Amino acid sequence: MTITNRTTDRGPAPGDGHPLPWLVPAIAILAAFYAVPVLDVLRLAFSDASLLAPASRYSTDAIGGVLADPALPVVLGTTLVFTLANVAALQLAGLCIALVIARGERRGLRGMAAFRTLVLAAWVVPGIANGLVWQMLFDEAPYGTLNSLLGYVGLGPVAWLSDPQMAMASAVIANLWQGTAFSMIVFYAARRAIDPTLYEVAELDAATPWQMFRYITLPLMRRLIAVNTVLVTVQTLNTFDSILALTGGGPGRATEVLALFTFNTVFYNLDLAGGSVLAVLLFAIGMGCALLVHYVIGRERPAA
Amino acid sequence: MNKTLFLAAAASALPVMGTAQDLVTRTRVGLADAPNTLTFRLTAYDLYSSDPATKAAFEALFTDFITARPDWKIETQLQTGNIGQEQARLLQQTQAGRGPDCAMIDSSQLALFKDNGVLKPMNDVFSDAEVADLFPFVRDAVTDADGNVLAWWWFTDLRVLYRDTSVVPDAPQTWEDLKSAALSAVEQGREGILFNGGRWEGTAFDWLANVWAQDATLVDDNGAPVFASGENREKVLTAIAYYQDLVDSGAAPARVTSITDYDSFNAAAAAGSAAMFIGGNWQYGQLRNTLPPETFANWEVSEIPGPTADQRATGTGGWTIAALTDDPAKASLCGEIAKDIYAGPGNAAQGLLPTSAAIYDQYDTYDGPEYDLFSAALQNGVARPGAAIYPELSNQIQIMLGDVLSGTATPEAALDTADAAVQAAFDRQ
Repeated sequence: MTITNRTTDRGPAPGDGHPLPWLVPAIAILAAFYAVPVLDVLRLAFSDASLLAPASRYSTDAIGGVLADPALPVVLGTTLVFTLANVAALQLAGLCIALVIARGERRGLRGMAAFRTLVLAAWVVPGIANGLVWQMLFDEAPYGTLNSLLGYVGLGPVAWLSDPQMAMASAVIANLWQGTAFSMIVFYAARRAIDPTLYEVAELDAATPWQMFRYITLPLMRRLIAVNTVLVTVQTLNTFDSILALTGGGPGRATEVLALFTFNTVFYNLDLAGGSVLAVLLFAIGMGCALLVHYVIGRERPAA
Repeated sequence: MNKTLFLAAAASALPVMGTAQDLVTRTRVGLADAPNTLTFRLTAYDLYSSDPATKAAFEALFTDFITARPDWKIETQLQTGNIGQEQARLLQQTQAGRGPDCAMIDSSQLALFKDNGVLKPMNDVFSDAEVADLFPFVRDAVTDADGNVLAWWWFTDLRVLYRDTSVVPDAPQTWEDLKSAALSAVEQGREGILFNGGRWEGTAFDWLANVWAQDATLVDDNGAPVFASGENREKVLTAIAYYQDLVDSGAAPARVTSITDYDSFNAAAAAGSAAMFIGGNWQYGQLRNTLPPETFANWEVSEIPGPTADQRATGTGGWTIAALTDDPAKASLCGEIAKDIYAGPGNAAQGLLPTSAAIYDQYDTYDGPEYDLFSAALQNGVARPGAAIYPELSNQIQIMLGDVLSGTATPEAALDTADAAVQAAFDRQ
């Protein structure tokens, strides 16, 4: 039976002739809630608006000012390190946990649901709370939690938050703890969607666990890994609340990522136009990542 | 008989309690059908405090206030704790004609509101004598050139040096004294001196006392940043070098660059790990409530040391109440709220520092010796500069200190970077 025949069998669908009227409500909602705010931010980026006064004229001054800011390269560098480290770690941790849970469930191990819930619990913690919790754990005072634990085994103390390099590592750890659950969910769903027959056949062929992962799991999850890369990258790029609570961006600018820099520009500088330029930059970077992955997936898609 | 009397007393009190509860709700003070309405935006630290005793005290004060003015109701609007955002939003709304009639304005933002011309005089509420009794820095801030009372600064705070007298018996008077005392404490196994050094406003504000002690200025009369030019530059560099030396010498631990709240000092005092810290006056009461009496007895406060014993300064903050309405009757009521509820009884209820000397003598709350010190130190109080550039200036100082104390930049380079960033921000404003 061909597709044409199936269509004929069920009769004409509402969208077969003129799909536009059916799409209008969805387009209108998307425009109202997504496009309009984005366009307004774009407008503000070309204005002289501040938190104290609305836009009075339009120019590229704010764009020039932000791009000429010597802090911007530093912040972009910090953002790059933070994002790359997080995306790699989040994918790896999420994948490992998802595979452990899937394997545990396949073997009928008890407690897998509780384990999954435990990981998910971190995900629902608000970013600010996450930052505060880790700030207490990383406290470098003589009675600080992690340093005290390290002290029991003869290690440390570690300058978790006062050393610029360690502060970045600490920010990544805090974000990793919270964000892993999302990757885990995506990978867990992808792993569950793989036909178990493939693994049964591989076992009959005496394939090792690594071979099954390398030649079955990984290839069949590649598209979702790509999608997850985009989602996690955008999430990480937008992260600022947990860093705000954990380090405030310091010491110095050691952990000041682009999203936090945008926040500071608006609420310290009161510079709405400059903040809008940075928001557009953040949007462009996120969109660029999405298009890149879409392009890669598109190239891999088999011909119809 | 006693039981009967108790029940009778309780029954007679019920209507009063019921009335008080009706008069103060989560969004209103007064009767819902009162003909006149004042909108009042306030913080969550008094009438709606999470502390039951504070809440009860302010409910009683507001109930008395509104009972005496039955034609009025006050519609209350709560601010969140995010001061920067809230105050910017308040100013925006007021300029657009959508602001409240009366509002609490952070003292650091008061000049911004004054400069934008949104504050309305409350002259008929406050006498000349009451204005004259305000501390000088407060009086200057709440009045304009014509003597109009544009706000009422109802409480202030200041930074002082806390020390454990079992380790540091004598109060350090100079920077050098402080360093010596801290190093001595380190030899005794303590952290010598703690101060805010992380990325938050407290770091900049506490450190600025060392700049102000040298009579340096951050902005000129036009609000333009001048902290890194002329004589100010040397004074700022001297203050940076002072902090850097404290860390490099070990008098202060390197972890100060991660301290972003005052509670860390309370924790260090409770753990017995710190010998001294630069903290806020309000922490004295917190320590009294937290530490065992015998431990608390060791803690004393003194003025923040200066480069010399004669050069002292301390940063002062606090909150003001101001009228934002063109209606004179509402502006007066706003002033009366500040005067009758907050300044005086409100101060005493919370142990907050009044802004006029007379109130210290008026309430028993201020009989403790620490208040004599606070009151004396306030004579050297300096408020944040009332300029729109201050938040960014503070931001850059935080970055500058973080970079220097963590060894990422030299004081000169860090100051140049901060200056360039502040000037660029000022140009965009």
